[in-house]
Amino acid sequence: MKNARIWFKKQDECIYISHLDLNRCMLRALHKSSLPIWHTEGFNPHPFATFALPLSLGFAGENESMDIRLLDDDYPFEKIITDLNACLPKGIRAFKVTEPVMKPGDIAYADFKMLLSCDSVSNDMLLNICNELFNMDEILIDKKGKKGVKQVDLKPSLVKYTLERQIGGVELNITLPAGSTNNVNPNLILNALKKYYDLIVDADTTRLNIYNENFEEFK
Amino acid sequence: MINKDVKKLLLKVQKPGRYVGGELNAVVKNKEDVDIRFAFCFPDTYEVGMSHLGMKILYSLFNSKDYIWCERVFAPWLDMEQLMIENNIPLYALESGDPITNFDFIGFTLQYELSFTNVLNMLKLANIPILSKDRKNLNQIVVAGGPCACNPEPIADFIDIFFIGEGEEVDLEVIDLYRKCKNENKTKAEFLRLASQIEGVYVPSLYDVTYNDDLTVKAYTPKENAPAVIHKRLMMDMDDCYYPDNFVVPMVEIVHDRAVEEIFRGCIRGCRFCQAGYLYRPVREKSSETIDLQCHKLCTNTGYDEVSLSSLSSSDYSQIVHLLDKLNKWSKDEKVSISLPSLRVDGFTDDIMNKIKTVRKSGLTFAPEAGSQRLRDVINKNVMEDELLETCSVAFNGGWTNVKLYFMIGLPTETMDDVAAIAQLGQNVVNEYYKCPNRPKGKSVNVTVSTSSFVPKPFTPFQWFGQNTIEELHNKQKHLKESITTKKITYNYHDADTSYLEAVFARGDRKLCKAMEKACEKGFHFDGWGDCFSLEKWLEVFKECNIDPDFYARRQRDFDEVLPWDHLDYGVTKEHLIRECQKAYKNTPTPHCRLKCSNCGAAKYKGGVCFEKRKNLV
Ligand code: SF4
Repeated sequence: MKNARIWFKKQDECIYISHLDLNRCMLRALHKSSLPIWHTEGFNPHPFATFALPLSLGFAGENESMDIRLLDDDYPFEKIITDLNACLPKGIRAFKVTEPVMKPGDIAYADFKMLLSCDSVSNDMLLNICNELFNMDEILIDKKGKKGVKQVDLKPSLVKYTLERQIGGVELNITLPAGSTNNVNPNLILNALKKYYDLIVDADTTRLNIYNENFEEFK
Repeated sequence: MINKDVKKLLLKVQKPGRYVGGELNAVVKNKEDVDIRFAFCFPDTYEVGMSHLGMKILYSLFNSKDYIWCERVFAPWLDMEQLMIENNIPLYALESGDPITNFDFIGFTLQYELSFTNVLNMLKLANIPILSKDRKNLNQIVVAGGPCACNPEPIADFIDIFFIGEGEEVDLEVIDLYRKCKNENKTKAEFLRLASQIEGVYVPSLYDVTYNDDLTVKAYTPKENAPAVIHKRLMMDMDDCYYPDNFVVPMVEIVHDRAVEEIFRGCIRGCRFCQAGYLYRPVREKSSETIDLQCHKLCTNTGYDEVSLSSLSSSDYSQIVHLLDKLNKWSKDEKVSISLPSLRVDGFTDDIMNKIKTVRKSGLTFAPEAGSQRLRDVINKNVMEDELLETCSVAFNGGWTNVKLYFMIGLPTETMDDVAAIAQLGQNVVNEYYKCPNRPKGKSVNVTVSTSSFVPKPFTPFQWFGQNTIEELHNKQKHLKESITTKKITYNYHDADTSYLEAVFARGDRKLCKAMEKACEKGFHFDGWGDCFSLEKWLEVFKECNIDPDFYARRQRDFDEVLPWDHLDYGVTKEHLIRECQKAYKNTPTPHCRLKCSNCGAAKYKGGVCFEKRKNLV
């Protein structure tokens, strides 16, 4: 038995399904593909699969990953990709299979790209506002957690980023804390724009990659 | 394909995955390559519609023709609908993302009467004129089929064509005719006239209705050569009948998320309240070979790990045990489980129980429908109490502790004693549990008793029956509640208000179209959902239209009254229904088709159960 990490993209229509739906979708694809993988035991056996880091509904993902256990150690990784893609909706595409190096628990950061747009102000204006927001001393925002809503300061998390005027909006590229201990959802930035500037900003958000605490790519 | 205007709304609504398409096996064609754009509309949410078998069959069938592109359309939930209206986004089809406004066909499946307002609302959302007469060109042809097409009169003004009976053949014949008419530049009127000549096609605009002074129907008079009686279509050879080898596999959770294999059509039982049992006569089975092949293919192509053997009463399949054995040959290895959605009390044998995953842990479900044996004889639900108790005992000894029992209240001839008998039956099931030596140790039993209110339906022996008043139904609910003395029984009941409205529509006539139109104007939708339904608002509409809803729901009709659906023929004769009705009032049951043919009329289709050899005659 051998562990395998399947890397995939989540895009187009599949942006709009939740992590739970993605999970079900993957299990069904694994079942349909008849890949030789380990199944859980018990009353309702199903293919065993775990995901490195859930992706919120509404975000695209460029480098998502799912771990499975191969029963056949020699099963070619290339074939896993073709087998699985034949069974997945077209918005989910596997593109790489590797042997896991890091553990999901090692994940500490994620890169996001957001294309921000707003109906009520020009893009130049939006860029100015974003710059102003990011330069504030303190950005207090309500964050929903397991223990209810609490106020957090976004400012310390907004360290590595670029803001650029683009066709169709303002592009924000930002690295944010991610993982099980400290997780900052990029949508909190939209909440901040609403709170401080009363702007309703739409965002096309893509998670580009994930990293460990030393900013090494998750492998 | 997600339209960019729609994209803007998606993150503002609940469960946006319902509005985007892109599922595995969804059919995407090039619109330049097809002649016919067909919008298959299910007048309810994605989750409900995607669980529906008939839609899956016709979707695949239509798309198997290269000149048709059939796409799915569902009713957007309230939040999405609101945003679509605010942003001027017309109702669109999931596969292409295109507005359905100018599609060739807008097809609806009519599964329950309370979805009628959604039909109209969906037309409105699509910017399509709701009245048939306001759609003048040969496109936007609005068609409808499904069980509620058996009394289509309440929506006759809005629909161009109703399909009577099973759709596999007639739908395609009509589509082909349209294609021809389009090529020949014919008008809509000419097309409808020609369509009315196809068996199973009902074009309501080709019939004049006259009424008596007491507002009952006097006559339906066909015009322009339309047939006086429209005969249903049905598939006689189920092995030869089209069945999809692939389903669209939804990405978001839906009501029934599994592969479904239809194992037969019709039902041998003849329960007198059950419309489906009469509409789909006679029983026609698929062979176990066909079922086996189709199930296997379906699971392979969808990746589902569960397949449900669907029909009106699956344990009545003549070779059920043999079939399950066959399926188990591959299903175990491929980690696929088999389930039976509807089980009869007497069908739940050890043998079947070991081969299926009917019940999971959630519990067993039975539908005795009435509490007393007398009343069960009236409705011809031939369930014996000792059989029920025996079945429960099998289940209890097998480790189950939950049983759900379904009943109806407001049945013809029902007395308060019959109502109290429901509580007693529940109690007897509880007692049975404690008699079981192998019951789960240390666990208590939980019996859930649910009642719905009886709605008399066309083409059943109770089609003449005046429904109980809402007050009577409430009293019965109250009486039942008081008759239950143990905490081990949980009592649930369906709202009587919705059953009343259902009864109005189910046996309504064309005069109701006015009310439908007004309801649509006022924005009524999702009447089947507690979130939206309001009887009060409906009563206002009826008042404004000068309609007495009691005339349809409450009035006891005479056998010789012309009923608004008398010009439709589903195979069962009116004489048979009258006979059955008379027997009901004498507490006399009728044996099922396999025991004895009761001469209902459906033998004229020359096949199915009517021509099976009966064991007792061999
Ligand atoms: S004709 Fe006889 S066997 Fe056939 S459906 Fe009717 S009652 Fe059943």
